[in-house]
Amino acid sequence: MTGLDWGVIGVLLTGIILYGLYKSRTTKNLEGYFLSNRSMPWWLVLLSIMGTQASAITFLSGPGQAFSDGMRFVQYYFGLPIAMVIICITFVPIYNRLKVYTAYEYLQNRFDNKTRTLTSFLFLLQRGLSTGISIYAPSIILSSLFGWDIFWTNIIMGGFLIIYTVSGGARAVAYTQQLQLAIIFAAMFLAGYMVVQMLPEGVGFFDALQVSGKLGKMNVITTGTTEGSFDWKDKYNIWSGVIGGFFLALSYFGTDQSQVGRYLTAQNNRESRLGLLMNGLVKVPMQFFILLVGVLIFAFYQFNGAPLSFNSRLLDNSRTMAVKDSVNMLSRNIDSVNVLKQDKVGSFTAALQSGDKAGEEKLSVELVDLQKTTDGYRRQFRDMTKRETGEDANDTNYVFLAFVKDHLPAGLKGLLIAIIFLAAWGSIAAALNSLASSSVVDFHRRVTDTGTPGNEYRLSRLHTLGWGVFCILVAQFASQIGNSLIEAVNILGSLFYGVILGIFLVAFYLKKVGGTATFVAALMVQLFLVVMFFQDWFAAKTGLEELKALPDVSFLWLNAIGALGVMLIARLLQVFKR
Amino acid sequence: MEKKENDKVPFFRSWNHWYFFVIGFLVLLIIAFYSITNYFS
Repeated sequence: MTGLDWGVIGVLLTGIILYGLYKSRTTKNLEGYFLSNRSMPWWLVLLSIMGTQASAITFLSGPGQAFSDGMRFVQYYFGLPIAMVIICITFVPIYNRLKVYTAYEYLQNRFDNKTRTLTSFLFLLQRGLSTGISIYAPSIILSSLFGWDIFWTNIIMGGFLIIYTVSGGARAVAYTQQLQLAIIFAAMFLAGYMVVQMLPEGVGFFDALQVSGKLGKMNVITTGTTEGSFDWKDKYNIWSGVIGGFFLALSYFGTDQSQVGRYLTAQNNRESRLGLLMNGLVKVPMQFFILLVGVLIFAFYQFNGAPLSFNSRLLDNSRTMAVKDSVNMLSRNIDSVNVLKQDKVGSFTAALQSGDKAGEEKLSVELVDLQKTTDGYRRQFRDMTKRETGEDANDTNYVFLAFVKDHLPAGLKGLLIAIIFLAAWGSIAAALNSLASSSVVDFHRRVTDTGTPGNEYRLSRLHTLGWGVFCILVAQFASQIGNSLIEAVNILGSLFYGVILGIFLVAFYLKKVGGTATFVAALMVQLFLVVMFFQDWFAAKTGLEELKALPDVSFLWLNAIGALGVMLIARLLQVFKR
Repeated sequence: MEKKENDKVPFFRSWNHWYFFVIGFLVLLIIAFYSITNYFS
């Protein structure tokens, strides 16, 4: 890191805070603070929705995901445009007509107190913990790669944005997100351009895609079938993307206050709808582009040799562990295979450019074999270090920043590190705003008299500050526990989302079902999902081997099972109640 | 602050046209992605 890099980071982060403060002027009441007086045009709603969804991990993990697993991750977003349409038809008109502050307020109108309380509690629990983790996850990557202190990285990642989020509420969040996204996209485009420029002489963008394609990274569409049957544990394929992704997106955009709060800031139905529909148009191409950067980085490393692990701190630490001899041997092995690979990939692109089909075919088979060998070495390293440390040694999230750190010029390195902070700030700021709106409107205001609009405004700022401190504490706590907690919180999110969506779908579409039937169904399905997902653990604890007969599915399907389960059971309970 | 509702659908004649456009665009993207997958495999 040079002075120029630090300068770029300092200027951008300070600039965003000052811009946020400049845009902080708002009416001093709840509607002004949480909903920006319902005054936003569609394009600000769109940028705010995108900025809320795109966290730091989106830009860290996207290219890494393409590097290790190819482009197929884009299918995860196929259900999103369909969900946008359903939300525009059903959710938006109801929320806007009732002039709610939070999505959960609607549940009291439709059902009762307890259903609203349960749903907003599930939201606060899940969003509070996951926001803490979304501070910790990029911080640990930055601190590992650059040797920064995790405590202070967490503070910068989750702390500075509190200044303008507390001060300006939803308005400051939306305006800063707009600027943040512009900088992020410009930087990502520049990164993609630089990768192509750094390929060897005579190797262009199209050749890089051909190399990656031959090595299985251009697998944009996959069907999830292995040996003729559908694999329910396969995470990303067209079916899990369209169906599972649809339920996930419907739940996230339709019932998660961090997103609902963005389009409630719109001037009217028209602006909310337009913002959401535009998101449905641009989200898939945007993710495709982010993954494409990862595929280009993959091609770059075919010519330059990928390390045994992109997590350089883990690699260095492993050389002092009991397994150091094995690690050194794996390092030597991967280096020698990389030399061979560089030679073959050069010959392959030459054959490609000269139209030598036979040579191209022969070399691509050899390249695939060499790729399998290097993948095998990297896998052995991961297994070995995981056994030794107990930590997840997967380096997918490290690929992009390791490339930035090792290969990009001064200045650009600073810019790309800054965008990680900006992306984190955009999504965390919206999360804090939504956590505060739910805790004030769904809990505090119902329990005590919050007084005048001025008092409510001051209370809302305090809640925002309180949630900011809570999330930083979760991030600091996560630093003590390690990666296992990240995984646990991600699973927690998937477990809750389906049930929350199910409650809303009953409210919208099953008009004859009442609050008690929905409440009981939600509790039953939640319990079922927890037992199903942790069936091995429950079977071991209870001795009930039958639990292992429950379906064992990838997390994307949990949303669909949860939502449909709540609808079905609530309907049945209502029938029996009569 | 009460804002006046603007019911005019932008760019298309009705919201249904918008919905078909968004889904149609998704289908086109999937077809394009399928072609990319086949071409580079």
